[in-house]
Amino acid sequence: MASSVRAKVFLAVAVPALALLLAPAALAKGNGGFVPVTPQSPNAHGIRESYFFISAFTLGVFVLVETLLVVFVFRFRRRRRPRFEEGPPIHGATRLELLWTAFPVVILFSIAVFVFVELPGISHVPTAGAEGKPYPITVTGRQFYWQFRYPNGVIAIDTMRAPANTPVRLTVVAPDNDVIHSWWIPALGGKIDAIPGRINSTWFKAKPGRYTGQCAELCGLEHARMLGAVEVMPRAEFTAWLTRRRAQQTKGTSELGSEEWAGVCAKCHGFAGEGGIAVRIAGSAILTDRLQLGTIVHNGTSTPRGTMPAVGSGWTGLQVAALANYLKEHPPSGS
Amino acid sequence: MAVSAEAQTPGWWRGRVVSWLVTTDHKRIGILYVGTSLVFFCLAGLMALLMRTQLMQANEHVLSPQQYNELVTIHGTAMVFLVLVPILAGFANFLVPLMIGARDVAFPRLNALSYWLYVLGGLVLMLSFFAKGGAAQAGWTSYPPLSEQTPGSGQDLWILSLHILTASSLAGAINFIVTIHNLRTPGMTWTRLPLFVWSIEVFAWMLLAVLPTLSAGLTMLLLDRGITFAGWHLQTHFFNPAEGGAPLLWQHAFWFFGHPEVYIMVLPAFGIISEVLPVFARKPIFGYKAVAFSTVAIGFISMLVWAHHMFTVGFPNSLNSFFMITSMAVAVPTGVKVFNWLATLWRGNLHFDTPMLFALGFLSVFVVGGLTGIYLAAFPVDWQVHDSYFVVAHFHYTLFGGVVFAIFAGLFYWWPKMFGRTLNEKLGKWQFWILFVSFNVTFFPQHLLGLEGMPRRIYTYSHESWEGYNMTSTIGSYVIGVAILVFFWNVVLTTRRGPRVGNDPWQADTLEWYTTSPPPPHNFDSVPYVTSARPLHDLRNRLREQQGARARA
Repeated sequence: MASSVRAKVFLAVAVPALALLLAPAALAKGNGGFVPVTPQSPNAHGIRESYFFISAFTLGVFVLVETLLVVFVFRFRRRRRPRFEEGPPIHGATRLELLWTAFPVVILFSIAVFVFVELPGISHVPTAGAEGKPYPITVTGRQFYWQFRYPNGVIAIDTMRAPANTPVRLTVVAPDNDVIHSWWIPALGGKIDAIPGRINSTWFKAKPGRYTGQCAELCGLEHARMLGAVEVMPRAEFTAWLTRRRAQQTKGTSELGSEEWAGVCAKCHGFAGEGGIAVRIAGSAILTDRLQLGTIVHNGTSTPRGTMPAVGSGWTGLQVAALANYLKEHPPSGS
Repeated sequence: MAVSAEAQTPGWWRGRVVSWLVTTDHKRIGILYVGTSLVFFCLAGLMALLMRTQLMQANEHVLSPQQYNELVTIHGTAMVFLVLVPILAGFANFLVPLMIGARDVAFPRLNALSYWLYVLGGLVLMLSFFAKGGAAQAGWTSYPPLSEQTPGSGQDLWILSLHILTASSLAGAINFIVTIHNLRTPGMTWTRLPLFVWSIEVFAWMLLAVLPTLSAGLTMLLLDRGITFAGWHLQTHFFNPAEGGAPLLWQHAFWFFGHPEVYIMVLPAFGIISEVLPVFARKPIFGYKAVAFSTVAIGFISMLVWAHHMFTVGFPNSLNSFFMITSMAVAVPTGVKVFNWLATLWRGNLHFDTPMLFALGFLSVFVVGGLTGIYLAAFPVDWQVHDSYFVVAHFHYTLFGGVVFAIFAGLFYWWPKMFGRTLNEKLGKWQFWILFVSFNVTFFPQHLLGLEGMPRRIYTYSHESWEGYNMTSTIGSYVIGVAILVFFWNVVLTTRRGPRVGNDPWQADTLEWYTTSPPPPHNFDSVPYVTSARPLHDLRNRLREQQGARARA
């Protein structure tokens, strides 16, 4: 095959290849995934700034290298030269090599400096603001749900409610008998692992809205369904919600029961108790017996049919009661 | 033909098949390594296709969560331990003695032991799918406590398999080091050593340095899971926080091994590229010493970067900063290599045979994998992309786009030396272009999925906005399968009917091309005295001068 033909073949393949790469981007909604999701919190914002800064250099180097490669491939292709005809015996050029050793050093140095400048804004919780002190919430990662605990003792599962425009400080943990999870709501900042035996923290400050994410560390069979959401609400609305939840919770019946069923039980047993990766539990006597229910969620169980982790170890009596009451009112139909 | 002469001599151990089973010949062991790795490559590749099928659409039900987690674990483990490292060890086995003008490796029997341990470890891993409770399900990184809580024997077999493979690699590493240090032919100084051999020297030292840490971690994991023997139950709590253990200890042990492991795979691939590019550019490598030294530098620095895999565990920022800087530092010697390779092409006489296409493809794709690494090194950005599909895309660009492309470059380049016949060029080029396009179609969209928030290792998702990229990726992965089939079709087609070649079909530079294709069992009748890094090039020049003198006379 003549070399000019070869060049055409190269073009003929390279161009559609590039088009193929870019086509899905055009199809996708929003930003198309070329940059991190639109930040809704100052730390996520700082991360995206750093992403852009790094991209300026990486795109530059990418274009430089690929251009040189393509230009050299065309310019120095063999044409009709025989194999024994050799290029000039150039064994190196020390100055040039020093130059392209120093050039990445300069780039990397500026990236590091930029990161260090952005870092405090990303990792430090603003201590005092117009809205007062950071609001603390404890996030516990468990197989396969997120449990949130508010300063007044209110517990919520999988969906966190938080006050708007207030720095919210999250303490991220996992019980000793559980596994590692990772808290990640992309719009509200980076991830932080929930590791048994360690206490980690992160924060966010956002406008009202619903932000979603999911566990980012393989935590077992239903890792994929360990979703998390943060509902940021105006301060007054949030306080009202918190007060209502507290009142309900003390009475032993509340939305908590339905959250527990959907977040803790249904991911394995099915929303109607019809069974999934775990056995069918619709109609089981345990569901209506508060004592037995407490025992099984506290300790888990191991039978020939499978092992259930102690999904509710450490649950308070009120938490068990919430589930039992919910199941009394809404017995799973089984289909 | 030397090989057939050997087969004609009587003796049961010289039979067609048996002679391969009992061989201690480094060339045959090298070929066995390459062949076995390719089998595991197909198996682990099929696992990837199953996973891609499951992820093609939202809420797909092709695989159960447990099956998916088993495939995620075994695909990763197999590609690293059963495919990339051993196939490179196979190249090293075949090539190192030939390139340094030696008769064999220093310890041929140890070499055979390495290979058979590798086969054993591979069988244990693959057969663990049939174990009670299925194969291991905690990912190739097998983080405790998850890996300690999984019931069944899959995880224990995973540990056993890795223990065996570690022993195999350690024996191999010692063998390569002793061989390279002691068996170089006269005149082959360290600055005349082929760059592939340099990469194997560093590869071997790195294995020796980091594998013991993995072994220690594996043993702790095994003991933590508990051993029952003759009525005694032994159980420790190294990683169990309830008993005062620390799950992070495993992560340190694993990544102190795991990150250098990446370079253990990548450096020999760099070595292959440094051999292929000059031969097909018809020029010497640009900056031999810089390329050799950067290999050593990458090897060294890569042992100081492990905690960049742990940026999200909640380290203080001072520690994160240290690992950010060391991780970025790896980019410097890597950049040196890339620019030196580009400069090697400059003013060359570029011959686009299949090995060259794969080498150029490697360059164009590996750069992407290298550059996305910078995002991961900058720890605040890592907090966003860590454990997402961005990372999956990143390491497939380095390990598939990088290492696998280099392996195909090496296979097409050295195939004539290994078997005396060339692979079909036309099919090779088809394979390259299909693979180049499908590779990018498969893995490029995964960067975007990661930035959109898709974590790795999830068996399903319900976001419809992720479907487009996932579908694209899945279609791409099927086409990768086609490209691999083209390769095997090429092998089948040329095994008996491929054109035979002489000693040196590519007019190459290094000593392996001095002997016959395939080489006789003793490799060389004589080895020319080495006066530069390109002994065969020197030889051709001398011959040409002699012919010129004769013609003038």
